[in-house]
Parts: sequence; C-alpha cells; structure tokens
Amino acid sequence: MKNILILFIIFFSIESILANEINLFTTRHYESDIQLYKKFEEKTGIRVNVISGKSKPLEKRILEEDRECIGDIFFLADAGRLVSAEQKGIFQKINSEILENSIPKHFRNKYWFGLTKRARIIFYNPKLIKEDEIENLNYEDLAKKNWKGKIAIRQANNVYNQSLVSSLIETNGKKHTQNWLKGIVRNFSRNPQGNDRAQILAVAAGEAEIAIANTYYYALMLSGKKGPEQKKAAERVKPFFPNQNNRGAHMNISGAGILRFAPNKDNAIKFLEFLVSPTSQLHLSNNTFEYPMIENIEVNDLIKKIGIDFKQHNSIDVSTYGKWQKTSFKLMKEAGWN
Amino acid sequence: MSRFENSLIPNSIIYFFVLLISLISIIPLFTIFNGIIELNTNSEYFYFFREFSLKNYVANSIIILFGVLVFTFLLGLYSAYLVSFYKFPFSSFFKYALILSFAIPPYIFAYSLSAFFENYGTGYLIVSTFLNEKMANQIIPNLNPIIGIIISLSFSLFGYVYILARSSFVNQSQNLIEVSSNLGFSQTQRFFKVILPSARPAIFIGLSLVAMETLSDFGTASFFGTSTLITGIYNSWFIFDDLVSANILSLFLLIFILFFFCLESFSSKNSKYHLSNSSSHKKKIINLSGKKAIFAFVFCFILFFLSFLFPLFQMLFWTFKFPEYYSNLDLIKLNLNTVKLILASTIIIIVCSFFSNFGIRVLQKKTLRFISSLSISGYAIPGIVISVSTITFFSILNEKFNINLKSFFIGSIYGLILGYLFRFYSISFNAIKAGYLKINQSIDDSASLLGFSKFRTLTKIHLPFFKKNIYFIFILISLEIIKELPITLILRPFNFETFSTKAYNFASQDLIEAASVPSLFLILWTTFLIILSIKYFLSEEK
Repeated sequence: MKNILILFIIFFSIESILANEINLFTTRHYESDIQLYKKFEEKTGIRVNVISGKSKPLEKRILEEDRECIGDIFFLADAGRLVSAEQKGIFQKINSEILENSIPKHFRNKYWFGLTKRARIIFYNPKLIKEDEIENLNYEDLAKKNWKGKIAIRQANNVYNQSLVSSLIETNGKKHTQNWLKGIVRNFSRNPQGNDRAQILAVAAGEAEIAIANTYYYALMLSGKKGPEQKKAAERVKPFFPNQNNRGAHMNISGAGILRFAPNKDNAIKFLEFLVSPTSQLHLSNNTFEYPMIENIEVNDLIKKIGIDFKQHNSIDVSTYGKWQKTSFKLMKEAGWN
Repeated sequence: MSRFENSLIPNSIIYFFVLLISLISIIPLFTIFNGIIELNTNSEYFYFFREFSLKNYVANSIIILFGVLVFTFLLGLYSAYLVSFYKFPFSSFFKYALILSFAIPPYIFAYSLSAFFENYGTGYLIVSTFLNEKMANQIIPNLNPIIGIIISLSFSLFGYVYILARSSFVNQSQNLIEVSSNLGFSQTQRFFKVILPSARPAIFIGLSLVAMETLSDFGTASFFGTSTLITGIYNSWFIFDDLVSANILSLFLLIFILFFFCLESFSSKNSKYHLSNSSSHKKKIINLSGKKAIFAFVFCFILFFLSFLFPLFQMLFWTFKFPEYYSNLDLIKLNLNTVKLILASTIIIIVCSFFSNFGIRVLQKKTLRFISSLSISGYAIPGIVISVSTITFFSILNEKFNINLKSFFIGSIYGLILGYLFRFYSISFNAIKAGYLKINQSIDDSASLLGFSKFRTLTKIHLPFFKKNIYFIFILISLEIIKELPITLILRPFNFETFSTKAYNFASQDLIEAASVPSLFLILWTTFLIILSIKYFLSEEK
C-alpha cells in the first residue's frame, strides 16, 4: 500500500515536472480568453497556465524574477504598453512565418505581435445631433468651438486616451496637438470620469452629445450581456467612424510577446500562432467584440452592425504610441484634462 | 540581568528570532527607502507631478480624508450611542447587525454605488419601474466621484468608530453618568459633557484607523477615477515607468499615515486611564418610546441597510438577473484556496507576532521594541506598494547577497503569505501587545520563582490567557485576507484565484454583473466569520 502511494506521488510529481505547458501573464481579464486557451489545450495537449493582473506590476514581477521567471508569454492590452515592455528587454525576437504573414506590419515587430484590434471612435446621440453635423467629422474637429460643452470622454490617465493623443502627435505634430487639447478640454461636457461605457451612457441620457470610446464597450451593451436597460441605452446611440476622408479611424491593439527567458519557447510560438488562426480570431472577436487581426473573418452581426468596412488608420505604426505616451499625458494634464 | 535565567532556551536565541521576525516585518519600509536612494534628481515625472498635479492630488486626498472622517465619526458615534444607552425596537439586533459593515470591502461598495447611480443603472431601473421611465435618468442624480469615494469608504469603515465607541460607552463608569443626572444635566448636556469626553480616546483610535485605511485605499479611488496621492503613485509608475518617484510618494503617504498612527498610539496610551469600569453598577438603559423610538430605529435601520444590505442586495440582484455568469466559477477550488490562504497566513502571522511580543517582554530590550514598533508601517503602506516591495526585496537579496530565493517566493503561496505578513502583521502584533499589557509583570516573576522556564510560562500562563484574543485576531486577519486584492493579484501562483481576484477580473472587463457571484461569496465568508466572533467585537458581552 505504502509503495503504491509512493509510486502515485512520484507519478504526479514527474507529471508536473515534465508537463507540456506554457505560462502566460496577461492583462486581459476576459473569461472567454480562458475558454480559448482550453481549446488550445485540447488541440495540442499543451496546458496553459494563467496569471492575470495589472500591466506594470506584472512587468515588474517578470523583470525582477529575471532568469527565474517561468513565464513564457506576456499579453498586454495596448500598443504603448507593449513598446514599454519591449524597451525593458522583456521579450525575445521571434521568427514565425505564420505570425508575419497573418499580422499586418504596422501591428507587430520582431518582439511582439498584435492579436486583436480596437477602434477608438465617436458615439453620438442622433436626437441631439443631425447626420449632416457629424458627417465628415475628424478627431481634429472635436476642438472646434461648436462642440463646446458637448463631449464626454474618460480621464487622462487612461491608456487608450494616451494612445489616441499619441497618434495625433505623430500625425499632426506636438504644437498642433497642444492646441487641439486646449480646444477639446474646453468642449468637455463634464469633468472626465467613469469608463468608456459611462461615456456612451452619458450620451444616451442626453448629458453629452458625443462620446469617445472603444467600440467593444458599445458592443457589450448592445449584446444584452449587461441587461436590457443598457441594451436600450446603446440603441439610442450611434457609432461614427471619424477621419474617413483622410487617414482613417484610430486603431489600437492588444498583443503579446514571448519572454526573454521563456522555458517553453516552442510551445509559446505555437500558442501565438494558434491565436492568429481563423477559429481563434473568430472566437476572440465574437466574445470580446474586438476587431479580428486577420482578414476575411466572418464576424458576428453585432460587430457588422457597428461597422466593419470603415477606413482604419493604417499608415501609422502602432509602436509610435509607445514613443509619445508620456508626452501625451503631460500635454493632456497641461491642457487641464484631469 | 534579565529574567528567567533558569530557562532551557538561551536568551540569545530568543533575541535572534525576535530580531529576525521584526526585521522581516519591516522589509517593505526598507525597500521603499532603498528605492529612494536610487533617486535620479531629474526625474521627469517628479518635476511634472510637482508642477501640475501635486496640489490637486493632495487637495483631493485631504477632501476625501476629511469627508470620510466626518461621516464615520457622526455615523459611528451616534449609532454606538443609541444602541448603548437606549432601548428601542430592534436595538439589540442593531447592536450586532451594524458590525456587519465590516463584511463589505470598500471596492464592492463602490461597485454597488456606481451601478446604482449610473445612467440606466439600478436607480434608473427602480424609478422607471415605479414612476416614470422618461424622467428616470434625470431623477437619479449623477454621482460626483469624490462623493462616491467618500460614501463608499464611510459606510464600509464607520464600523471602526462604532465598535470602539460602543465598547468605551459600555465600559464607562455608571457613577459618572449618575452624577451627571444628579447635577440636573439634560440628555444632550450629559452626552456632550460626560459621555463624549470620556469616550474620546476610543473614538480617536477608531478615526485613526479610518484615516489610515482611507489614505492607503487604492481600489475605490481608482474605480471612481479620482486623482488622489495614490493615483499619483499609480501614474508615476504606469505612465512614466518611474518607480522611484512612486516610492517617494509612498513615503510621503506613509509619513502622513504615520502621523495618524502616532496620534492613535498616543491616545491608546491615554485611554487606559479612562476605562474605569465599575462593574457593581449595571448600566441604566433608557427606554425610548413614540417618535424618539421611531427615529432611533429609522436611523439604525438606514445605516444597516446602506452599509450592508444595499451592496448585498445589489450583488444578489445581479446574481439572479444574470444566472449565466454563475456557471463559470470553480467554487470548490475558490473556497479551498480561501481556506488554504487563511489558515496558512493567520497561523504564521499570529505565531510570529506572539513570539516577538513574548521575546520583547522577557528580554526587555529597547532595540527590539523600537524595530518592532516600525513594523506597524506595513498596515499603512498601500497593498500595491507592498507587493512590489516583496518582489524587489528578493531581487536585492539575489543581486547584493547572492541569495536566490526568487523562485521559492515569487509566484508561490509562500510569497503570498509573506506579503500578507508584511501587511497584516501589525494588526496581530498590536492586539497581542495590548493583551500583554494586561498581564502583570509580577505574574511572570512569580512563575520564574516557581521554577517555570520561559517556554513553560509562555505555554502555561500566557497562552491560556490569550486564547480568546488569538481567536479574535485570527478572525480579523482572515477578514482582511479574504478582502485583500493587490498583493494577491501580483504575487499569486499561476492559475490561482480567490474570490477577490475573480471579482476584480470581471469588474475590469466591465462586467460587474459577473463580478457579483464571487463578490457574494466573499461577503458570505466575511459575514460568516463576523457572526462566528460577534461577541468578541463587542468585548463586553460575556
């Protein structure tokens, strides 16, 4: 009996040592991601172990653990954050034809790969704003005087706002953006507060006329996952993709890189390649309502309803967001954006 | 010459272990200081912060602190006064029920509050069901973030003032109160001239605890998105990658909090002289009737409702409205993880703090006393900073001393326990210290004369005395661990979830509705623990 027990213990400890696995740090908190990882496990037999948390503490943990870190992949929800991690030497260079062929060049580099896309666009209340008022609207126009007291947006310390402003600095220059910030801050309908969904709700309730938010928040409301009231509220609001006559709407990514000392590098590459496969991309976009990274994915009706044929700002390399984020935050604060 | 030379354990060994425990408990303080030494004088963020944000952040922190202190003072004091001196419908129920506010962490209160006031939120639903749908969003006012934080913190923290004020009222000398009635004081005069002044030290301790919690609160401030000193720490780190400035700001905060702590210890020292209980007199409880009774009942009911039932109902409401979120949870594992964490951490924390208190008592060394008094800093440092400190410490240990314990502590249950030790050691240490003050030194001396070794004195004399105390400390730390978020989030092993990390996960993907199930379980756990130990919260009910 004793021997059997010992064998049993040895069996399990060997199993855990030789386990075919990858260890993933992620700042994405989606339950549906976990379901996708389960699919990967079923397909390949590679177990996915997960820790989710905030970006910087996880980054700090990985950096300080150094060679001891058993993590293989770091999954982050903003291009700037990926750049920041890359600059600290967290990631290693990866060569993968599958990844390179699937992901457009401006959404990846050698160290990290964009896996989903997010559009930060305008939402308006059609009862308060006529179609022709909003037609041809650009982000740049939001600083104009006719929007005084009408715009809802969240706080300056939000990373999606910093990336949006970074894209403006990269495109229009610092001086121009500084003036733009002064203008848009004057146009705020209230002191920035709440998350993206709260901005859309404010527009639905008529407290603001337009909001700036990521589309998947809106989709979440439309999906009914947040109850019938929120769905009804979302239906009172319409999405609008700005800058359609020029560079296109602002796009951000969530993406991942393989850690420098990843003990399971090969598995990790397989995992990233799995994430850009059409089935995974469909799963991601159907559950989180982000835009798929690869072409020709038959997304669900909700995303279609919001819009898929819009012009995206593809002439910019998203890694520039990382370059300008600190400056963006400073300029926003200087302009009085709280 | 120290006491107990007849001992089997040499004093030097006790000294060594007490010193070790005390030093371990102040590791976060050490890493914060170490972080500051590396200060780069042209830190970009620090300059920017001083120019643009400092005033605003400090102002917000002070407004929130002031608001929370005023609210907790009024709510805690008045409710304690009502249930201690008067009898009204359900007064003995409220006496216990008001303690349940401790079961709700401020961040869960914040979720409920913001869900109630947001456009198309719970408030809207109620108004539109019973009144007018079109007007509903107008009727429900917008919640100002600062007010939101003040309310969330006040209702989840007033319990400190309530419990301490109540225990002081109950122990107040009946003679004094009788004298005041003989002097012809009205009830109001009696309250302001006799009852309140003698409860002052206890209320003061309560308020200092509230102040410490408020200043180190991260969850609520970040949920409502208001810039406080904590947000400064956060921005410095998250946007500017400047952990040095974050450390400096933590230190500022710590100094601020230490100020309250000094006030607290100062008044705890004084409070001893105020607790003159004359047990021969039973406290006279005044029967309220008519409008006064209704008022007292309504006041306590509203307080109980808002502090406990409101967030509980919100979570229940979501759980029933969105049953699909229930299925995703591995409840057995979550409960097991909770039990595992509670048992391992509380036992280690209590053993450490007991041993160091014992050592300080028998060795009577000033150095030990000083170092251990620094350990209180843990409770004053925000959890997010503690977690970074823990990681940094092992990194320093590896770099400077070539001791590599990283893989053992970072990302393991041991690291988590250590993080909790840093944060909650002071709760246990101070409670045991207070208990030891009540055991007269002469008892130890007599034991020594009778030939008891130090160890036997500890097991046969001290421990039995502390039984109840330890049980209560166990509950207090367990409550904190169940509610704890930032340390758990960062230091945990792979695939390790607790109710608080689960709730956080859902809340951060903007599905607070799904966060309701783990939140509800969290509340069930904390409520259960409070009910188990409710008589210790009201120390006088024997």
